[in-house]
Amino acid sequence: MRDKFLLAYRSIRERRTRSILTVLGIAVGIAAIVSLMSVGYGMEESITGELTTFADLISVVPGKISGATYVEQGSFTDRDVKDVQRISGVKDVLAMTYGATVVEYKEKKRPIMVFGGDTKELGSFYVEPVGLKEGRWLRENDYKACVIGNRVATDFFHKEIHVNDKLIINGEKFIVIGVFEKASTLYATDVDPHIFLTLRAAKGVLQTDEVKYIMVRVYDINEAAAIAEQIEETINDNHGLDEFASALTMGSMLEQIGTVFSILRGVLVSIAAIALVVASIGIMNTMLMSVMERTHEIGVMKAIGAKSRDVLSLFLLESSIVSLVGGVVGCVLGVILARIISIAASSALGIEFGAVIKPAVLIGGIAIAIAVGVLSGFYPARKASRMSPVEAVRYE
Amino acid sequence: MIRTEHLTKIYRMGGAEVYALHDVNLEIQDGEFVAIVGPSGSGKSTLLNMIGCLDKPTSGSVFIDGVDTAWLSDNELAEIRREKIGFVFQQYNLVHTLNALENVALPLFFAGMKREMRMEMAKEKLESVGLGDRLYHKPSELSGGQQQRVAIARALANDPEIIIGDEPTGNVDTTTGNAIMDMLEGLNKEGRTVIVVTHNIEIAARAGIRKRMRDGRVRD
Ligand SMILES: Nc1ncnc2c1ncn2[C@@H]1O[C@H](COP(=O)(O)OP(=O)(O)O)[C@@H](O)[C@H]1O
Ligand SMILES: [Mg+2]
Repeated sequence: MRDKFLLAYRSIRERRTRSILTVLGIAVGIAAIVSLMSVGYGMEESITGELTTFADLISVVPGKISGATYVEQGSFTDRDVKDVQRISGVKDVLAMTYGATVVEYKEKKRPIMVFGGDTKELGSFYVEPVGLKEGRWLRENDYKACVIGNRVATDFFHKEIHVNDKLIINGEKFIVIGVFEKASTLYATDVDPHIFLTLRAAKGVLQTDEVKYIMVRVYDINEAAAIAEQIEETINDNHGLDEFASALTMGSMLEQIGTVFSILRGVLVSIAAIALVVASIGIMNTMLMSVMERTHEIGVMKAIGAKSRDVLSLFLLESSIVSLVGGVVGCVLGVILARIISIAASSALGIEFGAVIKPAVLIGGIAIAIAVGVLSGFYPARKASRMSPVEAVRYE
Repeated sequence: MIRTEHLTKIYRMGGAEVYALHDVNLEIQDGEFVAIVGPSGSGKSTLLNMIGCLDKPTSGSVFIDGVDTAWLSDNELAEIRREKIGFVFQQYNLVHTLNALENVALPLFFAGMKREMRMEMAKEKLESVGLGDRLYHKPSELSGGQQQRVAIARALANDPEIIIGDEPTGNVDTTTGNAIMDMLEGLNKEGRTVIVVTHNIEIAARAGIRKRMRDGRVRD
């Protein structure tokens, strides 16, 4: 066996440049798979990781969510909120309202989404994970105060807004008492472009009494799904409709995210698979050329007693060695690439995440490389094994 | 013993049929030294290829030790080549990625012999052809005569009964050619059957038996 390796190795080395190119071809394919998978896992883990800390939360919205679309069907009433509070297993209920309204700062006006809710609950939901850059969070009686998201402070107006600056929200004057830090991905769309008020102030400026969003915290995570169902039923009953409210547990959100990511990984892997097909054509080509060039040598081997299967295994071994090396190099490149991509993507997308290198991905990568090597090496190897020993004496 | 019966090989070139061998009947006894002579294209190589089980006849048979090789599978033919026949080619036909020792050990590798034993035997054979100091040289680092001696050592590796040489001296100068013939003669004295094709009359004269070929037929 050792000698077979030696023999195969010799002829690989003999065609060094071509062998290196073939190895690189496979390595690129494997590196693409490994890095894309690792980056995908990294993203998924950072997002689900953040979400898992809210596993005891249920979000309730007045509308239907199907797939990626949300159709609002109205708003909640105070009675809905009270009924939800009464469901057993429910710990806290945060009723929120929101809406877009015109905000003015230093003569410039623009529409901004305004949020209002129970300040304590709202605070525990947003202030703890995101953090404030300046000032403090709202208290229940801060009727004329607001806390603004980072983009509202830095991007939306000519001048940066700081604590103690004044905003005119739908005609009413508010004083800025706090500015959020720039939020991580998960919160960025929720916090950065928004203004937060007390529930009473928000209802005032939005001129509505409607509750648009209810956040429920349960005691026991295991009951979350059952409670979510009960919440939907209770609210639907109140409105006399079959499908009015949607209550989403974090668990079901995690599941959805999991599905999204496995689809994403599937897409990434099929892109990488194209690279592998190209690589396998490369191996086949290299091996075929090698067989052609070595017609004479193969004939000689047969003339001195090699059987067809000796020749077959020799050539298969050659392509397996080349692809194994390609697989290993590909894994190393893939890990490096994954690190680079995740650093680049972290700063580009503002997501904090690192590539997650799973042993299964590396082992899979090498296994795929070898499979590609053996499969694409088989045809040339069989061609070689079927050559006649007379080739040894031909073309004299 | 080697015997051919109505041995015929036809090559089809386009529409035309070329009788490379035409009803060849001959017998070579064990331990004979046979020289085959004849003009180029007369079928000498084709005959050796048939006897050496490198190629299959169009019709007729080659018997080696009583076995009709026409009925054997490719694997069985490979076994006969490995166990009974040693080839020496005009072009030496060494594997150029392997050194002298590895080339000589190659037939033993295909025979499934253990590495240490193989290398030991290969070394012995190379020493017997006077190349004990060239074990690790690649073919490209050896002269033509030296390469041919490596090829002879390789042909001897499996200790075959039959040595077949297709113009083994065709590519070397007279002195080296004579040395190689000396070697083949020595092998014949050891009791091996030696069959060589040659253009050289002097060399042919050293063989016990001469067969003359013309247009695919053998005349004694
Ligand atoms: N592979 C082949 N295809 C077609 N014709 C061949 C082939 N090999 C040999 N021949 C023909 O068969 C005849 C005998 O060839 P060969 O045995 O090589 O002669 P020699 O060795 O005596 O010079 C020649 O006419 C040659 O052209
Ligand atoms: Mg010839």
